[in-house]
Amino acid sequence: MFGFIRPCAEELRVKELERFRALYCGLCHELGREYGAAGRAILNYDFVFLAMLLWGDAQSCEYCYRRCLPGLCRKKCVCACAAPLTAAAGYSVILAYWKAEDEVSDSRGAKKLAARAVRAFLRRAYKKAAGKYPEFDAQVRRDLSELSGLERAGAGSLDRPADKFAALLSSAAEAGREEDRRALCQLLYHVGRIIYIADGYYDLAEDLKAGTYNPVAARYGLKSADVPPKARESVLETLMGSARLAAAAYELLPRSYWTPVTENIIYLGIPQMINGVLDGTYRVILRGIPKRSGASPGQNGE
Amino acid sequence: MTDPYKVLGISPNATDEEVKKAYREMAKKYHPDNYADNPLADLAQEKMKEVNEAYDTITKARKNGGSGYSSGGSSGYSYGYSSGGSAYQGAYQSSGNSQYAQVRTAINSGNLQYAEQLLNQAPARDAEWNFLMGSLYYKKGWLDDARSFFQRAVSMDPYNQEYRQALNMVSSTNSPYRQTGYGPPAQQTGCDMCDMCTAMMCANMMCGGCR
Repeated sequence: MFGFIRPCAEELRVKELERFRALYCGLCHELGREYGAAGRAILNYDFVFLAMLLWGDAQSCEYCYRRCLPGLCRKKCVCACAAPLTAAAGYSVILAYWKAEDEVSDSRGAKKLAARAVRAFLRRAYKKAAGKYPEFDAQVRRDLSELSGLERAGAGSLDRPADKFAALLSSAAEAGREEDRRALCQLLYHVGRIIYIADGYYDLAEDLKAGTYNPVAARYGLKSADVPPKARESVLETLMGSARLAAAAYELLPRSYWTPVTENIIYLGIPQMINGVLDGTYRVILRGIPKRSGASPGQNGE
Repeated sequence: MTDPYKVLGISPNATDEEVKKAYREMAKKYHPDNYADNPLADLAQEKMKEVNEAYDTITKARKNGGSGYSSGGSSGYSYGYSSGGSAYQGAYQSSGNSQYAQVRTAINSGNLQYAEQLLNQAPARDAEWNFLMGSLYYKKGWLDDARSFFQRAVSMDPYNQEYRQALNMVSSTNSPYRQTGYGPPAQQTGCDMCDMCTAMMCANMMCGGCR
């Protein structure tokens, strides 16, 4: 369910891409420092975006040089530890843990075993993070259990399950500044909806094959992965509507050091991802930064 | 008071033209149309007020200070929340049904739970009911359900302008648009020397090809 929110790298200036890379590495180091190897394993783009949004109106970022694998590579420039990074790292651990927990109770066979292993792997990291962010932890636990209740019931509504995931993500706004909270909450709500629905569409074929719940299949009564044009149009309208509302909320946040990158994500990255997911050309990249050129030819809308 | 130049995101050395352009961009961004039925409409309105004030302060200061060119003619330019109004407030009185009027007030003031309760108690499921249900879901951010309700409202009462407008709003597939990254500079109308030069070069190349 992760890795959908990332910038359109071709449209970033070189320095902006370098900074984004450094922030991505910074989050990885922060996860490693606080939560060990288990933390690093769950690094993903969505939480880099969250860290940027939590920057408030600060106009700077500190950098330092670190090695990724001690002794194995040369030092890289990474963002130094900062409060938004710490919060994003903690939230991502909590979410990953509950996601695994959820999968343990919902899946069968090899998948269940894999989820068990992930859960055990994350256990210590989770305990530490939950101690630091008890409110977020409680919220995630509640929303995800309600979500899996809806999924088990096979709800035919798209908005209802999406609302649970969106509400969970929007509770991460608590780490933002007081005066930004409302806009941030709304922005994260719609980003959460986009992630949930796009993920459902992306996993459609796999879920249908495995016979597991899929929100898009349930909403449109799909039996095969060939989505009729009418249903696809409807999903596109829903996703783009949320993208526009996310943008409207985004505009009410102050400008920060990361504005060039977040602006790119909101206005280019997300629409590009939506179109790519709907026409089947999108691939989730969990590791590494998308290359500047040729990362996604043809999706550029040029 | 905050620095008016900072509000518009420009430097104090900006020319009158640049000030006007920055103001126009900001005013477009926070225009009430972009926040119709949006739970953050009040924040946008505040921003708009801030932007208007900043622009007024700058133009006034420049007029009095006589910063070189006073002929800017910058006054009388005000995108406001007062004029436009929300897309939805229009026909609220006409419906006559007091319960629906109550629902509308509840939705507008953001009291969604109460509005939902009222709607669930309503006896009829007519076009207006579907429309209000759609507005309620839209405000919650549940766009898929909102669209279904608006569609039903429109099919029950195809001539109602308000319903149609609402349906168009949730049925748009446009992505959020804003000039970002590299892309051409925001429409510099007319033709400058560069354009002419390119045109000449093109013409020259074509002539060569014909030969």
